[in-house]
Amino acid sequence: MTQRTNRRQFNQAVAGLGAAAALAPFGIVRAQAQKLKVGVLLPRSGVQGFIGQSCQKGADLAPGVIKQMLGVDIELMNADTESSVDTARTRAERLVQEGAHVLVGPFDSGAAAAIAQVAEQRGVPFVINIAAAPQITEQGYKFVFRNFQTGPDIARNGLALIGDLFQATNTAPRTAVFMHVNDTFGQAMLKGISAFMPRMTQLPFKIVDTISYDPAAKDLTVEVSKAKASNADFLLLVCRLNDAIILRREMVKQRWNPMGIISPGSPGMYEEQYYKALGKLSEYSISNVPWYNPNAKLTKIVEKAFLKQNPKDKLVFHGLNAGFTFEAILIAADAFKRARSTDPKTLADAIRQTNITEKMMLGAPIKFNAKGQVEGIGSACVQNLNLTPTVVLPAAAATAKPVFPAPYFKRA
Amino acid sequence: MNRRAAALLLALGALLVALPHVAGSYALSVATLILYFAYTGQAWNVMMGFAGQLSLGHSIYVGVGAYAAGALFFHYGIGPWAGLWLAIALSVLIGLVIGFLAFRFGISGVYFALLTIAFAEFTRIGFDHLDWLGGPGGMFLKVAQRDQIDLANFRGPPIMYYYAMLALSAAALALCAWLLRSRAGYYWRAIREDEEAAQALGINTFRWKMLAVTISSAMTAISGVFFAFYYNNLFPEQIFNIGRSIEIILGPVIGGVGTLFGPILGAAVLTLLSDGITEALAAFGWEIPGIKQVLYGLVLLAAIMFMPHGIWPALARRIGVDR
Repeated sequence: MTQRTNRRQFNQAVAGLGAAAALAPFGIVRAQAQKLKVGVLLPRSGVQGFIGQSCQKGADLAPGVIKQMLGVDIELMNADTESSVDTARTRAERLVQEGAHVLVGPFDSGAAAAIAQVAEQRGVPFVINIAAAPQITEQGYKFVFRNFQTGPDIARNGLALIGDLFQATNTAPRTAVFMHVNDTFGQAMLKGISAFMPRMTQLPFKIVDTISYDPAAKDLTVEVSKAKASNADFLLLVCRLNDAIILRREMVKQRWNPMGIISPGSPGMYEEQYYKALGKLSEYSISNVPWYNPNAKLTKIVEKAFLKQNPKDKLVFHGLNAGFTFEAILIAADAFKRARSTDPKTLADAIRQTNITEKMMLGAPIKFNAKGQVEGIGSACVQNLNLTPTVVLPAAAATAKPVFPAPYFKRA
Repeated sequence: MNRRAAALLLALGALLVALPHVAGSYALSVATLILYFAYTGQAWNVMMGFAGQLSLGHSIYVGVGAYAAGALFFHYGIGPWAGLWLAIALSVLIGLVIGFLAFRFGISGVYFALLTIAFAEFTRIGFDHLDWLGGPGGMFLKVAQRDQIDLANFRGPPIMYYYAMLALSAAALALCAWLLRSRAGYYWRAIREDEEAAQALGINTFRWKMLAVTISSAMTAISGVFFAFYYNNLFPEQIFNIGRSIEIILGPVIGGVGTLFGPILGAAVLTLLSDGITEALAAFGWEIPGIKQVLYGLVLLAAIMFMPHGIWPALARRIGVDR
């Protein structure tokens, strides 16, 4: 016999659900444990869901690796920002109320700015894993720390690596066409490149045309034909994932084969989906991005832990996202170990004194300046070789030699 | 309003006034968000619920209001109270342009909705290219940790923002209640039900629809100013996004379009439902990305199926108060 729900029963159910939901935010603070509670805020759903989940893999392996390294117990308190600034703010409040000693995340500059205000107001340290807007650490915050390059740093390091690439391959392209996605990140990169190009006299090329496009563009026919018409030697590209795929396909369709595609520091071309969608066409694309040192001792440990947790996946496809998220938690754990306290102010002071030399990501030891920004984070020239992102520069971290010009290159 | 409704409203008001003193900071931030969506939903309701003009681009007024006040503060240090007037003036101007184009040339229904989306979209693209306002790189208002309330610059602890939003929501409710009982309210409802019949009765529909757009855009601009000074960072991609327009209208749609309490109830239900699902999933230990959105969508679907006129009309009937 089937039992039908009448309107009255449904309304009662809705009222019950509403009451349960209404009471949810008024949760009582849980008892404090003798471990470091790390509130991890990542966009695990919504438009940035793909990247948020990639970052989460770095967070998930952190407690085990850090326990092994530092002997520190970590409890992760995961929260999904749902790629929304509003949610990021309320989830941060929730995590603090539930007893998070430190906040980590959130991959996005807008969300980072919103969480930073909560962290500052509540006096809880916040370690940013990935967010490039320089303004975040220019606000005079006392509890906000960032272990990631700012937009201008990414552009400067990316351009410097282009010079290194040409030197390593004995090439000297004379011209480039610059295509960039017209969003927050793309504009920041445009400004950075415009500022640094004139000062980098070692770069042999000049930009002959700059073409911007909408991040939601479904068709780049016009943009690619314009870029092709510029007759530039190579394509300098600041992209996201989907547009990078569309653009590469369009290049093939229009038979445009420049010396190469080089990103001075943007996501897209080293991500797993790029390889899956393009197959062989993904080969030889180059991204100069903050990356991990494949030869570092810590990387080997993290790689092993990653494989154990994700047997069907590879760390290399989550290099930037998982790497910086792991390091953000490592910074918190290291400070906790030195501070021997979960008191937020003591923890923040300890984070300020951080000096981590055994690290995973490329660059100088992790040390925060007075603004809470780590300086000297390195970038790598990551080239797609054999359908895998491969570090080809700097030489000390390289696992293969760079290939430039790409074998498909045909002079127009 | 009958006595029971007045008593319930008073009780709700007292509860909301007392809330910061009994609730934690998280609950306060959720409550602020609810009030923000209730207020903005109320503003949208004037246009759609009262006058029957479907706007799917209300984020344009939030964004323009936010950027106007934010830019004055960022570049010249002019506080939000002065910026508020510029925000209102610019938003009303845009509203009047959209309204004039649509109503003068007989664009209505879904075509009017498309026009509002188009305006919001090209405004977003335009702001992406305005370097003076930060472009897509965003505009960050200077913030500092404050425990003291600085009303002149609208700076202070979260409780200040909560009470500001509570005051705005109460004012919006009072204004809408008055409007509904005014001549404008009757004319709007006549236009909403049958515009041709309203015209036949001698109502100047163009004029009264323009008034609805003016009031709605002005109210929404105020929520934009609040947004700028609450979040302190503005990105065209976020603030002009069609997703934000949808967020604005979801509250009144679920709560009850055209009703006074619908936008408030809708905002509360949606925000609490969203957080309630998150809590429930955490309690069950389910960490499946996207499942929340699926459950949220299912609940909304059920609400629309079983209460097509919104939750408030059904609830009001049940508890015996005015709609």
